[in-house]
Amino acid sequence: MRIAREKFRMFLLPILLAFRSTEADAALVVRLQRREPQALAELYDRYGRVAYSLILRVVRDAGIAEDLVQETFLRVWNRVQGFDAQKGAVGPWLLAVARNRAIDYIRSAGCRDRNTVEFEESDHPSLYTEMESGILASDKARVLKAALEKLLPHQRQVIELAYFEGLSQTEMAARMGQPLGTVKTWVRAALKTLRDELGAQAVSV
Amino acid sequence: MNCSELRDHYELYALGLAEEPERDEIRAHLDRGCEVCMSEMRRARELLTLVGGSAVPAAPSRKLRRRILASVGVDQRGFGWTPLFAGLSALLLAAALYFAGREGDYSRQVETLTARSRAQIIELTRLNEAFALMNGADTTVTTFGEKKPVPKGKLFYNPSKGALLIASNLPQAPAGKAYELWLIPKTKGAPPIRDGMFQSDSGGTAMRLIPGPIDANTTAAIAVTMEVDAGVDAPTSPILIFAPLAPALQ
Repeated sequence: MRIAREKFRMFLLPILLAFRSTEADAALVVRLQRREPQALAELYDRYGRVAYSLILRVVRDAGIAEDLVQETFLRVWNRVQGFDAQKGAVGPWLLAVARNRAIDYIRSAGCRDRNTVEFEESDHPSLYTEMESGILASDKARVLKAALEKLLPHQRQVIELAYFEGLSQTEMAARMGQPLGTVKTWVRAALKTLRDELGAQAVSV
Repeated sequence: MNCSELRDHYELYALGLAEEPERDEIRAHLDRGCEVCMSEMRRARELLTLVGGSAVPAAPSRKLRRRILASVGVDQRGFGWTPLFAGLSALLLAAALYFAGREGDYSRQVETLTARSRAQIIELTRLNEAFALMNGADTTVTTFGEKKPVPKGKLFYNPSKGALLIASNLPQAPAGKAYELWLIPKTKGAPPIRDGMFQSDSGGTAMRLIPGPIDANTTAAIAVTMEVDAGVDAPTSPILIFAPLAPALQ
């Protein structure tokens, strides 16, 4: 249990740093937009490991995960000109790109239909900012960890299927052999629990 | 739809699970910069980013960084650690071998010098004894072999100190052979008494010290024969040197 908690903290550290390093990230974005290769190296040093862990969780193949991490950083490198450094934080944006690359891969590999909703990656950079406001990020991480543990097993499963595998609710219903309505209920209940737990923590602080 | 009606759909939208008409409504709100929806979406994305943090930590290979940088035209070959470590290891190994060899050389030199010093001390002691015998008040000198081509020399005899045989023109002893020194008793028919082996130098010269008192009343002369280098109990070859202890006996 203790080891698992330590692993959780180790993994969350880059994310926490991502939340707290908005100013440094803004400067980094400016340097990326100037096409400074060293800025890409720094970006990788900050987020390479967490992006890899996230992608590996999705694709479950180390070689493919590395290819997708490379694609992720190249995508950020190529699209950073359209990213507003004053409005968006590059770390969470990069992680969103990483997740989308990984889910796109397993969709194409599994001949699954693409989800009709394309996740915005740079259309709304302000969606990736101000993540460090409110309670301390480390507290948030702890709260979310506790909240995930509070979920019922099937609630946690649908969240993981949606986040890590990008399944639609219809696909989840088929995978789990449950009625679509039941899966939708589980998804909403799980998200509400997580939202409420984080919200309650924010209020208490 | 207003923002309050979309309240439960932001996380679904962020997850890609929102359905129509909420999905288009949220997108439209975001596109027109709706502050409420932007704020809610930031919160929803933060929540999902934290969900992503529950993945098991893993580390990519070290090559990945180089691959990524190379793909944007950055050559990271530069100065790697592996060649540095390999070079240092080779250097340390060479240094270790060098110093080990030097230490071995020094050890061998010390052994050689020690042995040489020991031999010189022994030789010096022997010479001191020889000079002491030669300078002794009671020392007499017998010259032998003057009438023969080989060998010849002198025998210094001192009753209390012993005898010193100095010979030249000794024939070169073949391999496995050496000179054996004998004390010849005065008693007629008594066998010679062996007194050790010695070798000549390359010029056929030898100096052999016979330390300790020698009683001239019982010993008549010193003799030398060539025998096997292990020595024999009785002479087996012709006498090369015969030197009486006292000149009168010659």
